Amino acid sequence: MSEPLYAPRPAHVRLEGGRPAAVNGRRVEFVREEWLVEDRWWSTGPLRRHYLELVIEGGRCIVVYRDLAGGGWSEQR
Amino acid sequence: MSYAELHAHSAFSFLDGASSPDELAIRAAELGYEAMALTDHDGLWGSMEFAKACESQGVRPITGAEVTVLAPGSPPPPHSPARRESCPPGAFHVTLLVEDAAGYSNLCRLLTAAHSGTRERPQEPVQPTVTLGELVRHSEGLVCLSGCARDGALAGRIARGEHDLAARLGRRLAGAFGPDHFRVELQRPFWRGDRVRNRRLAELAETLGVPCVATGNVHAHDRRRVALQDALVTVRLGGTLESTEPDRRGNGISAMVDPRRQATRFAEHPEAVAETVRLAERLRFDLNRDLGYAYPGSEDGSADRRLAEACRARFGERFDTSPHRAEAERRLTEELRVIGKLGLSGFFLLHRDLLELARDVAFEVRGPDSARALLPPGRGRGSSVSSIVCYLTGLSHVDPIEAGLFLGRFLNDEITEAPDIDLDFPRDVRERLIPRIHERYGPERSALVAAFPTYRAKGAVRDFGKALGLPPGEIERVARSISPYVSYEPDTRTGREAEDARSSRDGGSDPIDPENGINAEISEAIGPQRASSARWVALARLMEEAYGLPRHPSQHPGGMVLSTRPLTELCPVVPAAMEGRQIAQWDKDSCADAGFLKIDLLGLGMLSAVERAVTEIGRVRGERIDLSRVPLDDEEVFRRIRAAETTGVFQIESRAQMQMLPRSRPENIEDLTVQVALVRPGPIQGGAVHPYLERKRALREDPGYVVPYEHPSLEPILADTLGAIVFQDQVIQVAMALAGFSAGEAEGLRRAMSRKRSDAALRGYRGRFVEGAVAEGVEREVAERVFDQIKGFSGFGFPKSHAAAFGLLAYQSTWLRVHYGPEFLCALLNEQPMGFYPPDALVHEAQRRGIEVRAVEVNESAVECRVEPDASPPTPASERDAADPGLSVRIGLGFVKGLAAADAEAVVSERDLHGPYADLADLASRSGVSRDGLERLAWSGACAAIGTEPGEAGRPGEAGDPRRVPLWRLGVARGSQRTRDGEQLALPLPVPPAPALAEQTPWERITADYAASGISLAQHPLELLRPDLREGTVTCADLERIADGSSLHVAGLLVARQRPATARGVMFLLIEDETGVANVIVLPPVYERHRLVVRTAPLITIAGRLERREGVINVVAAGVERLERPDAPLAEVRSIEPDARRETGTIHADLDAVLPAAHSFGRRGH
Repeated sequence: MSEPLYAPRPAHVRLEGGRPAAVNGRRVEFVREEWLVEDRWWSTGPLRRHYLELVIEGGRCIVVYRDLAGGGWSEQR
Repeated sequence: MSYAELHAHSAFSFLDGASSPDELAIRAAELGYEAMALTDHDGLWGSMEFAKACESQGVRPITGAEVTVLAPGSPPPPHSPARRESCPPGAFHVTLLVEDAAGYSNLCRLLTAAHSGTRERPQEPVQPTVTLGELVRHSEGLVCLSGCARDGALAGRIARGEHDLAARLGRRLAGAFGPDHFRVELQRPFWRGDRVRNRRLAELAETLGVPCVATGNVHAHDRRRVALQDALVTVRLGGTLESTEPDRRGNGISAMVDPRRQATRFAEHPEAVAETVRLAERLRFDLNRDLGYAYPGSEDGSADRRLAEACRARFGERFDTSPHRAEAERRLTEELRVIGKLGLSGFFLLHRDLLELARDVAFEVRGPDSARALLPPGRGRGSSVSSIVCYLTGLSHVDPIEAGLFLGRFLNDEITEAPDIDLDFPRDVRERLIPRIHERYGPERSALVAAFPTYRAKGAVRDFGKALGLPPGEIERVARSISPYVSYEPDTRTGREAEDARSSRDGGSDPIDPENGINAEISEAIGPQRASSARWVALARLMEEAYGLPRHPSQHPGGMVLSTRPLTELCPVVPAAMEGRQIAQWDKDSCADAGFLKIDLLGLGMLSAVERAVTEIGRVRGERIDLSRVPLDDEEVFRRIRAAETTGVFQIESRAQMQMLPRSRPENIEDLTVQVALVRPGPIQGGAVHPYLERKRALREDPGYVVPYEHPSLEPILADTLGAIVFQDQVIQVAMALAGFSAGEAEGLRRAMSRKRSDAALRGYRGRFVEGAVAEGVEREVAERVFDQIKGFSGFGFPKSHAAAFGLLAYQSTWLRVHYGPEFLCALLNEQPMGFYPPDALVHEAQRRGIEVRAVEVNESAVECRVEPDASPPTPASERDAADPGLSVRIGLGFVKGLAAADAEAVVSERDLHGPYADLADLASRSGVSRDGLERLAWSGACAAIGTEPGEAGRPGEAGDPRRVPLWRLGVARGSQRTRDGEQLALPLPVPPAPALAEQTPWERITADYAASGISLAQHPLELLRPDLREGTVTCADLERIADGSSLHVAGLLVARQRPATARGVMFLLIEDETGVANVIVLPPVYERHRLVVRTAPLITIAGRLERREGVINVVAAGVERLERPDAPLAEVRSIEPDARRETGTIHADLDAVLPAAHSFGRRGH
């Protein structure tokens, strides 16, 4: 079965002082940007996500978000 | 202070901000802001309201606006853009904040310039913009921030990667405003790319040598409103919430948060946060204090003398033979003293000047020979009627001494605002007068006052339903059945008045009843399953949040402001939708707060109707009526009033009034003055009605009855109203007499009662009132009881002077109804829409009184309705019987729905020139009426006489169907057609006879009557339904003969419904059958069970109980059912607005869709 290109995948995020310190076991170097999406409040699937763009060890950028409604972290390309 | 908010939008950004200025100010105080700016898009509409609200909350208001600037070289925005973007292509936003008075004037000039030319095509407005050149020219006294994250002058360019353009524009703006007055604006909307953008902006600021400043770009006072903000943006852009996703804010960050939390969002730019505080410290201009306004004439040193001369010149004529001469003399001296002391002589002279102008205009409009020439151009209403100066200068037509009117409410030593003078004009005079005032005082110095229509329940369902992508059919079903937010809400409510209602929810008039809330109503309309879906639940929530918020700016019906200084320096002035008019950006409350001289030129439908009646009487009977000389003691008039035979007359025609008239039994004009004021929320809530009625009855039965007063000092004040507080000015007098208040203090109390969030202020007054009264020797308990009556009275009452003016018009209109029935009915029909009853109900009521009403007819009707003699030649006036004057009312061609005004005029003018039309071909060829127009005429029945011939339709000696035959024949006769070279008139070719066409059934005739003209003259729907009604169903006329307490069934056409906020959920219905009308009371449990039927069905049957009290008959409903037409086809194609071009001859309109909509009382003013 095919999957949408940017489908989020569950991610394991370790927090230190409320900030991500590691994602799926890879160390977070710094937070590059963060933003908030709160939308579709009128639908059966409202979105409330806190996004973070992180630079992880090795210099790669990844985007993760925390689901503010249901909890849990996901990684999204 | 850690942070000051310098960028915030209220609902006055129209379909962008989601909170009122009040809500923002209150929230700012709660969150601990010391200063806050309101920066609505391209306007200062809410700035005064914000300034006042901030003042009361202890927050320092900063005035500003987010202004849309056209980039150099960009084309102006197009007419009627399909989507209203917040920033049109090629434009950018800057945030302008006022530093001083010069800056304020510049901002007003800029905003005036932004809006000029935006209404050249009234239906296709252009978005307001200023050019960069204009911005630069008017930069003095303003601080310019570089604008918002998306569309700002610099941020927008940087976000798009146009760094060079951003730098160039930054240099231009910094150069124009100077480094002290230009700041690079940083925002943190929590979008992807914020940090990079803000870093680049900070770098640019350093290059430019100016500081950065942080702003929150607030769009809501609370997170609860964020959903509404999304929905408003979607309404503005069109489409659905899904489709507008890229243009919406995308999260709740634009809701206000406390200053510390806002500051943490800019952790990387602490200097930008500190700069908010430094700027706020500098921006000291305060609208509450620094406006600097003077009305025209205030500088005139000779004004006192000239006003006194003007009054003295008329004094002798008015009072030389009066028994009150001495008192009038004293009153005049006192008024002139107060006016002189307050510096208001110029104000009164200005009003006189306006009245003179009105006199000229009235002369032009009415013509020198008209019967109307005898009438004054307008008349005063409101508290100004209590002034002898107004009486002597022609501003009022009521002798205040004779009528015993109290001056204090209008004028006293302590007033701080110019008093209101309201003038009522017939509509036609007023329409001409407004542009003449612009001419006289100059377009720069006069403008109409703005009004802000607030969201209404129906409109909210439609707007938000569409935004939510709900099915249009369901949206319509809900929109038609939903209760209004507040059922007594008058049409002219401004945003602030709606706000008053919102803040007075505790006062028992909760507009959104949580138990019977919007959800329940939606569920009833579309079923509980659909109503519980996420989108419908969202709609209900949006509707609650939108209640009371302004939707768009509009013009006040007649309020104007005049100024000596150009108004455009005091308040932005923008073109109105109507050509030749312009409006100030403030509503009447804001204008009053600014101390502007405001004159109310109100168009009063009844005044126009009365004038029309006088003109028609002159034309038909040759009698010249001078209404000002009509005897005020006509016993026949009062007899009819006491019998509640008042349909169509001014004020006392409403159901509530009619229910009261047989009990209050007015016997003279003074009683009528009380009567007009009694049916108002103030006296009703203040508990004045029952004591008044009871004492009136007691006095009737026993002339020796002694009226009880709470305290002897109240007797002289409340004697006219038998101890009850009925008039607004009585509140003032009571406070002065009982609690020793000064006139100014008492007026302050009255104002506190009528203003929003008055609870705290009222509590303060309560203490002073009770203590003051106790000090005067009044018992504490009495003082508290009287204060509670005053508090219940609140602001919703008439001053006595206003009631006197309205009572007189109520009497005059009844006099016309009694003595000149046909002319009065004709005038009412021609002045529609007005009053409480739809034209169909007015006609039926007149028919029941024996007035003949004749159908529209191409060879008889004028464009408007008119009175015609029954016989020809008409009976001479001297031989006419008053009961049967031999006159009928002919419905005008203007009542034919869809007929173009030009077509109606063409039919009449050609007939006047060359005689009646011989047949359809003659009509088609001579009148030049379009084919569509001819078809509409035929379908209305107007061609019956010329369109059918005996022997037609295959039946010798019988004319064919009066609608179908002419319509068929018109299909053969060609109407004139519009061609490229102009109008191609039809040839007068003979039209062949029609084939055998079935005659319309009675139901088809009634349906066609309503569809074609909204009036059914021949048969009442109930007459047709009657054979199928439940056995024993009584008629409305039968009710007179049925005993109190009897159970019964009665059926009717729903004419009007009312659910006043003062009646605790009770709904009042008026139904009509072929015999008359009946009042129905629907108590809350019954209403809840049958809400959908009560709110939407045009024909209903009621099961209930008859209740008879002091001559008033009501049916108290136990059940309400929709009446169905018995022969309704099982399925039919419903064409609500038949397109005659395609469906000629087969127009099937659904009866529900064409029956006149029941009026909701109180929603159509006079």
